[in-house]
Amino acid sequence: MMKFRAALAGVLLATTSLTPAFAADLVIGRATEPSAIDPHFSRTGNNQMTADNIFEPLLLTDENLQMHPGLATEWENLDELNWEIRLREGVKFHDGSDFTADDVVFSLERVNDIPNSPAPFTDMVSSIASVEKVDDHTIRITTHAPNPALMEQLGRVFIVSKAAAEGATIDDFNAGRAAVGTGPYKFVNWRPAESLTVERFDDYWGEAPDYETVEFRFISNDAARTAALLSGSVDLIDAVSPSDVARLEGTQGLKVYGVDSGRLVYLALSMRDDTAPGVVDAQGQPIEPNPFRDANVRRAISHMIDRQLIIDRILSGAAVASAQIVPEVLGGHVPELQPQPADPARARELLAEAGFPDGFGITLYSSNNRFPGDGDIAQAMGQMLARGGLQVNGVVTQPYNVYAGAATNGEYGAFVFSLGASTPNAEANLRALLQTRDTDAGTGGFNRMRYSNPEFDAALNEAVQEFDPDLRNEKLAEATRIAMEDQAIVPLYFQRVYWASKEGIDFTPNLAERTVATDVRAEN
Amino acid sequence: MTAFIIRRLLQAVMVLLVTSVIVFVGVYAIGDPLEILLPADATPAERAQVTRTLGLDQPLPVQYFGFLMRALQGDLGTSFVYNQPAVQVILQRLPATLELAFCALLLALMIGIPLGLLAGLRPGTRTEETVMTGSILGFSLPNFWQGMMLIMIFAVMLGWLPSTGRGRTGTVLGIETSLATMDGIRHLILPALNLALAKIALVIRLTRTGVQETMPLDFIKFARARGLSGRRIVSVHVMKNIMIPIITVLGIEFGSLIAFAVVTETIFAWPGIGKLIIDSINILDRPVVVAYILVIVAMFITINLIVDILYSVLDPRIRGKR
Repeated sequence: MMKFRAALAGVLLATTSLTPAFAADLVIGRATEPSAIDPHFSRTGNNQMTADNIFEPLLLTDENLQMHPGLATEWENLDELNWEIRLREGVKFHDGSDFTADDVVFSLERVNDIPNSPAPFTDMVSSIASVEKVDDHTIRITTHAPNPALMEQLGRVFIVSKAAAEGATIDDFNAGRAAVGTGPYKFVNWRPAESLTVERFDDYWGEAPDYETVEFRFISNDAARTAALLSGSVDLIDAVSPSDVARLEGTQGLKVYGVDSGRLVYLALSMRDDTAPGVVDAQGQPIEPNPFRDANVRRAISHMIDRQLIIDRILSGAAVASAQIVPEVLGGHVPELQPQPADPARARELLAEAGFPDGFGITLYSSNNRFPGDGDIAQAMGQMLARGGLQVNGVVTQPYNVYAGAATNGEYGAFVFSLGASTPNAEANLRALLQTRDTDAGTGGFNRMRYSNPEFDAALNEAVQEFDPDLRNEKLAEATRIAMEDQAIVPLYFQRVYWASKEGIDFTPNLAERTVATDVRAEN
Repeated sequence: MTAFIIRRLLQAVMVLLVTSVIVFVGVYAIGDPLEILLPADATPAERAQVTRTLGLDQPLPVQYFGFLMRALQGDLGTSFVYNQPAVQVILQRLPATLELAFCALLLALMIGIPLGLLAGLRPGTRTEETVMTGSILGFSLPNFWQGMMLIMIFAVMLGWLPSTGRGRTGTVLGIETSLATMDGIRHLILPALNLALAKIALVIRLTRTGVQETMPLDFIKFARARGLSGRRIVSVHVMKNIMIPIITVLGIEFGSLIAFAVVTETIFAWPGIGKLIIDSINILDRPVVVAYILVIVAMFITINLIVDILYSVLDPRIRGKR
């Protein structure tokens, strides 16, 4: 018996190995997790902010989404179609090799053949006709058509090491073999659904980060993330629930960081069909023609909504009211477009002008698990619309996985949606949300209400073709003015997003809702 | 006997087939995964490209038939989200869940049986009342609330135990487990306790009822008359008789511990399959959802098959009836 036990213990010991004990200098509790380490696999925020630690794109994005020289130091238009881009010299990859034009050419071509990518970067490079290497630190790019936004698009593609990534599979990246970038941190290991560990890259060309090793822990549940910070098992958490903000601010030894994000929550009024789902007359029959095609009806609904009341009462103050598409710090913001207080009297006048002195029946639709308060704000707006003279027949909320598809299929008349900003100016969002839907031209991808205004389209096209950045922003603002005068959508508010940390840490909150290790500094 | 097993296996194949149809169509009916997978500024061209590469442009029957053909070759599809074989994604997370469920089961027995005995042997006393009232709490308080309270008390207020993740793990016999390190065990305690609470209550009730039914029986009186000590009567004679229902019930419960540890895994950020299935449903990662349900169904079928075979072996009457 003893022998058997000894043998058993021997077998157990021989087959036992421990993962290295890793006491990270900084532990970050993140709400979302990446689906892969390959930076080209998915363009979604959770993957990009993971890649941001290890890889770098040609341009770096600051906390206000403005882009600055990164791996590309300068660029110029030789003519409308040709660009010459200078690359930073003296940059090293994590494996010690030099960063050269070959890696850039390889990376730009690689994004087109990522198998099964659910959100590829292909659109970032779709305007490129050819990329050629001039010398080790210069590349020349030719586009199919004049594309003033080239650098903004190109500048978002992460650069991988050609030597490491050539022929690499997604598993090679996930295991770290191919995860060789030029970023401030080196990949150490990724345990899906659990954690990602990175280590400082000592030969980084830019400012050295303060923490030697950083561990990201993926904690999707809001309350659990807050508890992890309170118990001290993590040092910083993101996506703090607005309802926890007051408590955390009142806790000794904790800091809360907030920023008005670029995520716009809006009410869409569908102009897609001759009748709008849920919009009915007193007898319950669909109204034809669709009332939402009348700008006065859309303006009336905007006047009925008390945005500040929603923000104060439902969102615990975690938002800022909006009357347009992008926040102040982005290009294309219109300063004089300010949210107005609710004005039910004016709303009734406008309804009467549109031929609905007695209002009409309406059903509101919203998701209920997409962003904080999404189901509740729909309920509140239902009451506000009723006060404004409409007969609210119901407020329907659905989980996002059901809701999103149905909204895209045009099953809702009046519905709440959100749209985040990820580019330095309003162009991408205006094109996706408000431009006339045209599959071939690639516009109106998220124009679920099928808004279409030739005047707006012309103004936007003109802005898109402008090479001078300042003039472009002015023209984007002009296009926004036209759409908002027309009340293309009913903007509600920009979400405020929060991070929280223990004392001794300083975090730079950002508009893009990203949580990257380099945004965390030791307090001095 | 062989005919019986073959018949059962054929039935199992039918169940798996029907399940796959129901789940496949069900997830398809919920919505379009592209709505969630695509970034907000995706163009229609990008959308069309992704639809094609994921095979979502095919009509549903064609998609299902393709799935079936590949499934027959052992390929249950590739996750839309991770671009890895769905079965691999599940198996990667299965050890964490098994370990959690196993520890919860162990806790349920180690805490439930002594308390149940205590209550059963002292009927009508304050001890019994306390234990039984406590067990009602275990039953009736929502699992997620219990979890939050455990975190608030033991992690936030007292700071004794960590509340998220698996901690440091080690590999024993090729299986990654938290039980190999002290840090891992500390991480395991709270989630295992959370998962075990309802089961503890169940075991307490089963044990107490069993004890109270067994104690007045004749063979206990005879044992007393033979002069056996109280301790021996309880630990040998009573226990033997009450363990049968407890083991039967816990056998069934173990399956549900594995399949439905969703709440505990979410609250404690435990990287197991329960959290995976919820995330996959939310993001409509159909291959993972279908593969997960098929794996779980296969697991239940196997457990039941083994139980049935054992019954048949033990009791010839059951064989005769079928």
